[in-house]
Amino acid sequence: MKDESTTRRGFLKGMAGMTAAVAATPALMASGTQKKDNFYGYDEKVVGLVSRIKSAGSLDFNYPDNDSPCKAVMVNGQIKAYSLLCTHKGCPIVYNASKRAFRCPCHFSEFDAELDGQMIIGQATENIPEILVRIDGDKIIAYGVNGLIYGRESNLKG
Amino acid sequence: MGFSINDKLPLPPVGAEKKNVTCEFCIVGCGYTSYKWPKGTSGTPKRNALGVDFTRQQPALSGVWASEQMVNTVRDRDGKEYHVMVIPDANCVVNQGQNSARGGAMAATLYNKSSFTRDRLLDPQVYAGNNLARTTWEDARDLTARVLKKIIDNEGPDQVAFKAFDHGGGGGGYENTWGTGKLFFSAIQTRSAAIHNRPAYNSEVHATREMGIGELNTSYYDTELSDTLFVIGANPYETQTNLYLLHWAKNLQGATVAAKKKEFDKGETAEAARIIFVDPRRTASITNSIELAGRDRVLHLRIKPGTDVTLMNALFTYILEQGWEAKDFIRKHTENFEKTAKANKTSLSDAAKITGLKAEEIKKAAEWIAKPKKSGHRPRTAIFYEKGVIWGIKNYENIASIVNVAILTQSVGRVGTGVCRLGGHQEGYVRPAPPKGMPGRQNLVVIDAEAAQGNYLAFFAWGCNPFVDSIMGERLATSFKRRSDIVKKAMSRNIGADNETMAEAIYRACKYDGGLFFIDVDIYPTFKSEVAHVSFPAATTMEMNLTSMNGERRVRLSEKIVDAPGTAKPDCLIAAEIANALKVLYEKEGNKEMAKRFEGFDWKSEEDAFKDGFAGQGAKMDSQGGPTGTLATYDLLRANGNNGVQNPIVKVSNGKLVGTRRLYTDNKFGTKSGKAMFQPTPQPPIPKQVANQMKKYEFWVTSGRLNEVWQSNYHTSRLPMPSTRWPIAPVPINPADAKAKGIKSGDPVMLYNDYGSVRAVAYVTEETRKGELFMAFGFPNSPVNNIVTDFVDPDTKIPFYKGTAASLRRIGRVEDIAGSMSFKNRV
Repeated sequence: MKDESTTRRGFLKGMAGMTAAVAATPALMASGTQKKDNFYGYDEKVVGLVSRIKSAGSLDFNYPDNDSPCKAVMVNGQIKAYSLLCTHKGCPIVYNASKRAFRCPCHFSEFDAELDGQMIIGQATENIPEILVRIDGDKIIAYGVNGLIYGRESNLKG
Repeated sequence: MGFSINDKLPLPPVGAEKKNVTCEFCIVGCGYTSYKWPKGTSGTPKRNALGVDFTRQQPALSGVWASEQMVNTVRDRDGKEYHVMVIPDANCVVNQGQNSARGGAMAATLYNKSSFTRDRLLDPQVYAGNNLARTTWEDARDLTARVLKKIIDNEGPDQVAFKAFDHGGGGGGYENTWGTGKLFFSAIQTRSAAIHNRPAYNSEVHATREMGIGELNTSYYDTELSDTLFVIGANPYETQTNLYLLHWAKNLQGATVAAKKKEFDKGETAEAARIIFVDPRRTASITNSIELAGRDRVLHLRIKPGTDVTLMNALFTYILEQGWEAKDFIRKHTENFEKTAKANKTSLSDAAKITGLKAEEIKKAAEWIAKPKKSGHRPRTAIFYEKGVIWGIKNYENIASIVNVAILTQSVGRVGTGVCRLGGHQEGYVRPAPPKGMPGRQNLVVIDAEAAQGNYLAFFAWGCNPFVDSIMGERLATSFKRRSDIVKKAMSRNIGADNETMAEAIYRACKYDGGLFFIDVDIYPTFKSEVAHVSFPAATTMEMNLTSMNGERRVRLSEKIVDAPGTAKPDCLIAAEIANALKVLYEKEGNKEMAKRFEGFDWKSEEDAFKDGFAGQGAKMDSQGGPTGTLATYDLLRANGNNGVQNPIVKVSNGKLVGTRRLYTDNKFGTKSGKAMFQPTPQPPIPKQVANQMKKYEFWVTSGRLNEVWQSNYHTSRLPMPSTRWPIAPVPINPADAKAKGIKSGDPVMLYNDYGSVRAVAYVTEETRKGELFMAFGFPNSPVNNIVTDFVDPDTKIPFYKGTAASLRRIGRVEDIAGSMSFKNRV
C-alpha cells in the first residue's frame, strides 16, 4: 500500500476514517493491555530467553496473538525473529539452520533469515514479516511486526 | 533494515465493483478478481465484499487474502479516488486461487502518484530543444504524421520501420496487435518490421508450423495426465509458475492418478508422472521436481550448450532401434519419415561425446519418453520447449528436431500429450498480412541491424525496448543515439517553427544527414526515451479492456478497472490517432487514393478495434481466432469470466462460448497433405561469430529470465520487492571460477567481448558449471545482449541470444549492493 491513510501509521495519525481500522480499536482497548507508548499499538510480550536460544539455536513462539506462529533464530550473533506463515499462501515455512533461511514446502519460496526475511526465490509478493524484538537482560521481548502477516487484514486482528 | 510499518489493509465493502482481470505477465495467464470502491468507504473485518471473516486467521492454501502488493489507491479521470484490490481467482481453472510473485503484484503496478509508478508517461511529448516536453495529442500526432507523409511520399513506406509487440497480456492483446498491424501493414504499408524481442518480423516456431503442428496444441489439464513431461530449455517454476506449481506438481505427486484412470484406455497403467529436463544449468524447477516426485523420477540431462539437436536425433534413433515408434500413426498420418530417419541417425556413443551426457542417461530418457508401460500401452508424453532452444544455436533445427521426436512417438493429439512451446508472454495475434513483397523467412530483413547501419528514416519502438531486447545491444544503442542526435540538432535549430517547417527539417536531417526520426510508444520512460523525438503514452492491462490467449489457447476478456494515467490511451487508439492524422493530411492535399488507405480507424474504444480485428476478420486475416473468432464478443467473453474459451471457438451454446481443449485429436495436421511432416535435422555448427568469440574469451555465456523479473523489467524494476532483490542483473558463477578470479558473491563484475561489455553482480553458485556463466536477461541497467553477437539463424532470422563468449573481471566491491541482496543458493 502506498496510500498513507491506509497504513497503520496513517491511522494512528488520525487520518484514516476507515471503519475497518476503527472496528479494530475497541477490541484492543477492551483487552486493557494497550499502553500509550507502545509501538503502533502492539503489546509487548516476553517470548523467550536469550540463554535458551543460544543453546537451542532457535525458538518458537506466537506473536502478536496465538494464531500467529513465529520463530526467533540466532544469526551473525544477533537474534532475528520472523512470522512462520508464508506470505504467498500461508503454509508454515521451515527453518534451515545451515542455510539460515526459511523454505516453504508448498510452493518452495525461500526467505533469508540474515537479510530481514528477503525472498531468495519464490512466489510471495512480500518478504516474510519480521517480528521486532529487543533484549532485556536474558529476556527476548517482541514489540512489533514489520510487514503484514498472511491471512489477515491487520496484524492486530479486529 | 526495512522500517515502514505497514500492517493494515483496506477491505472492499459489500457491493464494491467486481471485475475479471487476466494476469498481464506470463503465458499462463492466471485469473484475478478486482474490487474497486470509493476511498473513504470500507468493508469491515466481519462484513466485506470478499465474504471473509477477518476476525479469524485465514487458513493456509484455501484462505482468501490480499498481500500489501494486492491493493492500491488510484485517482480516476473523474478526479475521485478509489481503493483497488486485485487477488487471484479461486474459480479460475488455470490458477485456482494462486498467484505468482509477478501476478500477485498487479495492483501495485497501477499508476499512483505517491508510489514507485509515479513516472508513468502521462501525455504525448515532443523534443523541444534539450528534452522531451509534454504536449497535446493534436500536436504530437500532427508532427508525426507530417514527417511520416514526407517519408512515405518521397522515399516509400519501407523507410518507415517499426518494432512492436505481437503478443497478448500487458502491452499487447488482440485490440492492440490489430490496431498497430492495421496502421503499419494496411495503411502505411511498410515491410520494415520487427517484433519486440527480436530483430526481424518472424515466428519463433516456423519449424513446428511447417511440420503441420501449431505450437500450442495441448491443455494444462492434459499435462496433469501425462506419464512423462519432457522439458527442453525451460525453467517453468520461474517462468510458467502456476502451470508448474498446480498442474504439473499435482501430476508429479501422483495426485491425478484417479483422473488418469478415467481418461486413459481400459487397463492402461496410470501412475505419477516422471519429468526430464534438458538444461546446461541446474534450475529451481529441477530441485523442486525432485522434492515433488522423488529423485528417481526426475532426470536432468545437463547438456553441453548448443547440442540439443544431437540429443534429439539420438533419442529418435534409439527409440526407432527399440521398435518403440508409433508405427501405425507414422504410416497413416506422417510423411518424410524414411528420409529423416536416415539423415538423423545418431548413435548413443556419438551423442554422448557431443552432448557431454552419458549414453545411459540418453537411454533412460528414451525409455521414459517411449518405452511401453507395464500395461503395454504407449506412454503419454508431453514435450515442452522454450527459449533455451528457441534462442539456441539454430532456431529452425532446434525446434524441428524436438517435433520429430514428438511425431515419432505420437506425442500429439492424444490425452496427456502435446508438443508445445511453454511460452513467455501470452498470445494476442491478429494482423493483416504484411504488404506484398514481404520476403519469406530466409530472406527477412534484420531491421535492427539495418537501422544501426543507417537504413530507414523513421523508426517506431512500440511497447518494447530494442536496446535491451535485441542483438548486439551496445552497438545498437550507440548507433541509434548518434542518428537521433542528428535529428535533435535539426529540431533545435527550428525551435518555435510550425509543425510543417519542423517536419521538413526533420525529414531533411534524416534524408541528407543520416538522421533517424524516432517515435517511442510506451508506459514508462526508458533509455529509448533519450533518443525519442516524439513519445506517445500508452494504457495497459486494467486500464483498458484487453483480450489475449494463454498457453493453452484460453481467451479471456481482462476488464478495464481504472482510467489510464494522464491522457494515455490504448495502443490501438494511438495507432488510430496517427492513421487519422495522416488521412487528414492526404485529404487536404486532395490525394483520395492515399487518404483511403488510412480509412477504417474511426474507433471510439478498444472494443471497436476488437470488433474490427479478432471478431471481424475471421479467416480473412492472420488471426489466432481463425474463422470462428467472429463468434466472440465482449459480452460473451465477459460471461465466460476468467475461464474464457479455448481457441478455436466451436460454437455458442446457451449464451456460452464453447472451445477446444486439445488440437489434432483427429490426426489432421496443418500441411498441404494433412500429414505431420518429419524434417531432417543435422547438428548445426557453432556460428562463425560465436566461434570467434569463443577463441578469444574464456566463458560460455548464456542468459535467461528470473522469477521476479518480467520482460524488460519495466514494472518489476520499480516494485519494492524485485527491485530490492535484483538492483542489477546477477551473473551466477561457479565457485571454482570465482575462486580463480578472486570473486565473491556481491562483487560487481564486467563481462566483455568484441561486441561490447556489460556490468553485473557476481552470484557464486553451483547452478552453473565451470566455464559457463548464466546472466539474467532483461535488465535495462545491465543488458546482457550488449555482448550477444549479430548471428541470426539464416533460415528464420532468430538470434542466438543464448550463446556468446565473454571474459569476466572483478571491478571491486560496492557494499550497498553486496549487503542488500541475498546471495544464497536459489536452486
